[in-house]
Amino acid sequence: MSVVLDRPSVNTPVIHEAGKVSFALMSNSKDDTTAPADIETAEAEPEARAVDVRSLFEEQAIPFMDQLYAAGLRMTRNPADAADLVQETFVKAFAAFGQFQQGTNLKAWLYRILTNTFINNYRKKQRDPYQGTIDELEDWQLGGAESVTQGRSTRSAEAEAIDHLPDSAVKDALQAIPEDFRMAVYFADVEGFSYQEIADIMKSPVGTVMSRLHRGRRMLRDLLSEYALERGINTSGTRANQPATTGSKKK
Amino acid sequence: MTDCGCEKAKAELEEYLHNELAKADAADIAEHMAHCEDCTREAHVGTVLTQAVQRACRETAPSDLRDQVLARLREVQSTH
Repeated sequence: MSVVLDRPSVNTPVIHEAGKVSFALMSNSKDDTTAPADIETAEAEPEARAVDVRSLFEEQAIPFMDQLYAAGLRMTRNPADAADLVQETFVKAFAAFGQFQQGTNLKAWLYRILTNTFINNYRKKQRDPYQGTIDELEDWQLGGAESVTQGRSTRSAEAEAIDHLPDSAVKDALQAIPEDFRMAVYFADVEGFSYQEIADIMKSPVGTVMSRLHRGRRMLRDLLSEYALERGINTSGTRANQPATTGSKKK
Repeated sequence: MTDCGCEKAKAELEEYLHNELAKADAADIAEHMAHCEDCTREAHVGTVLTQAVQRACRETAPSDLRDQVLARLREVQSTH
């Protein structure tokens, strides 16, 4: 999918942030020659140019608001903080928009700013004491992972059960897993970012991203299967009404 | 293409589901899946899990947030 964006002033100096002047360098762009050389824009009054930058930003970045808000909710775990986080993110992104290279991945760029803003402004407040050391934990210490041995029939029943769980159960399970795991799952499964893009957003090596994604998904799967079992949602056909004693974890 | 067996398919299942494998590796796993019910079921659980997360994470920002953000941008711009 590619979207052709209307760029009013490709190599025109853009004034932003305290009068700093930056150039949206497009030297690698294949369509340099076809880009409109908008002389009028270049010669326009500064205020008019500023309005152009703002409308470009509004047109390109604002449509990501719902997605950024959804990610913000997963990060902050509450609607008021998520709204504040999104607002801060847009303000910062707007201030830095002159450094954004048109034609590169704006969504990933916005997510990087969202993640940085969250880490700097919010994570301190609610920091999980285990955060930071969680990557070093062995799978058995996290419980569940690879300990579930299931037969064929239970596995298709498990898929069936997960498929029928209410969204609220999935959200609760997401909130219950460690933040870095949760966000790796979110970036990969909801946003469809590649491992490399997630590594850039989370400022972590690709191997760490893989490990967080695997573990996060494993934990999520176990939590959801457990939930289904407790609610009597059929995961096996034979033990639906039993308490969740079969979901035993190594302690 | 060769059938890579369950071990490789299970080890690389997550990368397979997230389109992170090189074409040849992905083709090997797809080939294996075609003949292995067990791995196919395992892959199905993974796909259903992804879909469940996607469904649960569909959110709409509060209606006043957009207006607040646009107002902030205007404000930020006018102070520079």
